[in-house]
Amino acid sequence: MTAEGERVTRNVLLGSASRQLAAELEHHLPGARVRLAATGAEVLQTLRQGSEATALLILDDDLDHPPALDVLRQVRSAADPLRIPIIYCLGEGPRDAPRALVEQYGVSQMLFHPVECRELARQAAFLLGIPYWEEPRSATSSTEGNLAAELSSVWDRFAASALARLEVLEQAGADLLEGWLSPDLRQRAVYEAHRLAGSLGTFGFAAGSRFAREMEHILERASARDDRQALRFSELTVALRIELERAAQTSMGEPAEDSHPRLMIIEHDSELADKLAVEAVSRGMRVETVTEASRLAGELENPPDAVLLDLDFDTPEKVLGLLDRLAGGAASTPTLALTDRNSLTDRVEVARRGAQGFLPKTLSPSQIVEAAVQLLERRRDAETRVMAVDDDPQVLAALRTLLEGRRIRVCTLDNPLRFWETLEEFAPDLLILDVDMPHLSGIELCRVVRNDPRWSAEPVLFLTAHNDAETVRRVFAAGADDFVSKPIVGPELLTRIFNRLERSRLHRSLAEEDPLTGLANRRKGERTLAQFERLAQRYSQPLTLALVRPDGLRTMNAQHGHAAGDAVLRRLGQLLQKAFHSEDVVARWGGQEFVIGMLGLTRSEGVQRLAEVLEALRMESFHTPSGPSFCATFSAGVAQFPEDGATVAALYRAAEVALGQAKASGRDRVLPYGWSNGDRSPASVDVALAMRDEAEACLLLHALETRGYQARWLRDGNTAVQLLCGSQPALKPSVILLEVDLPGMDGLQLLGRLAADRVLERSRVIMITVPSIGDEAATALALGAFDHVVRPFSPPAVMFHIRRALESMKGRESEAAYRRVVTPLPGWSGARGLRQRAD
Amino acid sequence: MRRILIIDDEDDIREVAKLSLASLTEWDVLTAPSAKEGITRARDAHPDAILLDVMMPDMDGPAVLERLRHDPATQHIPVIFLTAKVQASDRRRFASLGVAAVISKPFDPLKLPGQIAEALGWPAGGEG
Repeated sequence: MTAEGERVTRNVLLGSASRQLAAELEHHLPGARVRLAATGAEVLQTLRQGSEATALLILDDDLDHPPALDVLRQVRSAADPLRIPIIYCLGEGPRDAPRALVEQYGVSQMLFHPVECRELARQAAFLLGIPYWEEPRSATSSTEGNLAAELSSVWDRFAASALARLEVLEQAGADLLEGWLSPDLRQRAVYEAHRLAGSLGTFGFAAGSRFAREMEHILERASARDDRQALRFSELTVALRIELERAAQTSMGEPAEDSHPRLMIIEHDSELADKLAVEAVSRGMRVETVTEASRLAGELENPPDAVLLDLDFDTPEKVLGLLDRLAGGAASTPTLALTDRNSLTDRVEVARRGAQGFLPKTLSPSQIVEAAVQLLERRRDAETRVMAVDDDPQVLAALRTLLEGRRIRVCTLDNPLRFWETLEEFAPDLLILDVDMPHLSGIELCRVVRNDPRWSAEPVLFLTAHNDAETVRRVFAAGADDFVSKPIVGPELLTRIFNRLERSRLHRSLAEEDPLTGLANRRKGERTLAQFERLAQRYSQPLTLALVRPDGLRTMNAQHGHAAGDAVLRRLGQLLQKAFHSEDVVARWGGQEFVIGMLGLTRSEGVQRLAEVLEALRMESFHTPSGPSFCATFSAGVAQFPEDGATVAALYRAAEVALGQAKASGRDRVLPYGWSNGDRSPASVDVALAMRDEAEACLLLHALETRGYQARWLRDGNTAVQLLCGSQPALKPSVILLEVDLPGMDGLQLLGRLAADRVLERSRVIMITVPSIGDEAATALALGAFDHVVRPFSPPAVMFHIRRALESMKGRESEAAYRRVVTPLPGWSGARGLRQRAD
Repeated sequence: MRRILIIDDEDDIREVAKLSLASLTEWDVLTAPSAKEGITRARDAHPDAILLDVMMPDMDGPAVLERLRHDPATQHIPVIFLTAKVQASDRRRFASLGVAAVISKPFDPLKLPGQIAEALGWPAGGEG
């Protein structure tokens, strides 16, 4: 096939059951022809037929009929003047076998099982005096799977040269930062970057190729004085080094998956995606970026450990569908949403579908990635973690297989000297120790663990080969919880591990769980809220706290008995638990009070979510053992950090104020802190509903009231004109929900009238349209409507549109307030001038 | 059997390309580690196609192509450029030189045979 030059072909006879060994051997020995004999008889027969043609005999201990040793004996006892060289691959034979083989049978070379094919080939080449071919085999019959394996072995050999190329880039990076990069080095660096860009992706390191490509561009364009580019360049070198070193490790067969979580970045802005990727790689993550929707389906086959999802990646419906797949699926991948101020997607809906936080894109890439790291750490805390210390790698491998199949994260350690740092870092839920290890015995380790207050309650299980009474006594005296003999029997060990874990979990849950509802108790709740407060501060994320109390619980207890009250509390706890995902905190604060902490949601979004829970509770009916069934409602107050309170305690007090208002204004509602009703003129309602159907209007009115909004229903077009238009209108709503098909005067006509009367300057109009009539929506928007909702709609969807409209009004108000506050200081005149012009 | 010659000075790329083609097709795969050796090899071995790296220290891809076109023994052999250049202008320039295709680096080793077969109108899977 290729021109390797002329060969003197030497015949090698391989007595082995392994066909693959024969093929591999032939590959590494280009000057030999390997003939496979699968049984002992075949070996003997081949030799007898033409033993002079066989230049080397390789005997594998796995040979049978007759066994390899018998074959050897017969070969050597036969009249064999040439005494062909023999390599013997020894399995588990008697202890003196090696000596006997060499002394009695003149075996030239001995190898031990498992036989490394390259080693065997090297020995054979040496004995035959023919060249040894180092390169791995690229078998023509190889499948794609083999190809991947072979690629990684090619990579093994070239990883070092890739790192050498990177060194040139690092040198160039350092010089760029110094402000002077020689033309020579620049040229070399461009060359190396170009090469890396062209090759890394081929080995499966797509991110590495992208980093190198960006470096190439920077080098081609940037002047030595461009500090920003120089910084970027050095960031890229760091990211690339981490990527390459990790790649080197991975191919060495180290468990890269364990230590490097996979982050998927779903972001249409490829520049931002790349910045995030660089940052994430430098934080030790493996990264996949998806910038096109079409590529998504394939990428999601293998769910990552965490996802950064841009809410504007696709249409709102598609993004929500995506969230369902990610966060809602069986894998429930932790997902952080990246948001733009103008994002059209309903954030409440996003939270409901399980997104675990919102990050404004205005944050720096490092802050965004830090949030993902935190999320993963919190998630990691929730898993069961077992640490095993044993000097026998086989035992560790067996434990790993056994436990990882049960979704338990395992950390194994074969060096007890690194015990303490690993323990602190991994923080296991259970410790498995071997009794006998060099340097430090498991018994000593256990004593140390028991003497440390932080670990004294850690469940410890011993593995040992000795189960004599003395060892058992010593193990328990050192503070072990349980004891399992080697060899490991899978089911027994698992049962014992699970028993231990269950008991310690029970301990912990008693300390942190509210027994009636199963929610976090106040102690746990306070701790989590404090953590949320820190996170909110660090990532300038909103944090919203809600305080919830059932309405009329005392009366209920008096009328139906305490069991009825407990049933309401329990059910309310369940509904809250269901509505808020694991990354929010829902706690029973004591008595009849619940506290919910929502990281990433604003006050008004919190109101929306609680209102939905209230709507769900209203649908439930409770049964008393004696009498009739009854219904329950709650009131809630919602406050946002840091606007309504700069500490968790202050936030709680603010929420309490709002809760008081909710109770006072008729219960059965959710009010935000800062809600006011007293000083309003009757004209200023929040929402006017101009719609035909009374039942539907009532439904929306109730939903609005639940959320603390003032609303009025206008039953026809003429009433609407009467109340909304004119110089002294009776109603000045912030938002008008307007149906096209309205009695009296149709909606579009009414909209025209509102525009003519300049009502649109103080009110936002949301048009309700029917999909079959295509241009209504467009007409409405052209006439000055702010937004439109298509029938059929769900009340939460309408609430979202109303909230968005109200919020945009608030923006206008606060802008106006800002203008009023600005006083004519000398330094401000310029800014003021700008602002006025903008008006 | 179809025979393809890979000319690339980068050892890793040459080896991966060879591995990819040898594993996934039945083609006979030859390699050359420099432009000069590549030209000689092309003349002697009569490959059915040449996969040619654009950026090599001794001679760049277009120059190699010109040499091949001037030699009656090699002028008819279809050539595919392999390049890490991503600029559209570069790629257009390469394409205008009359090559069968321009394949980007990094390439996906699983897809490389398909890309080549498609460019040359060879049956997929590399029969014959």
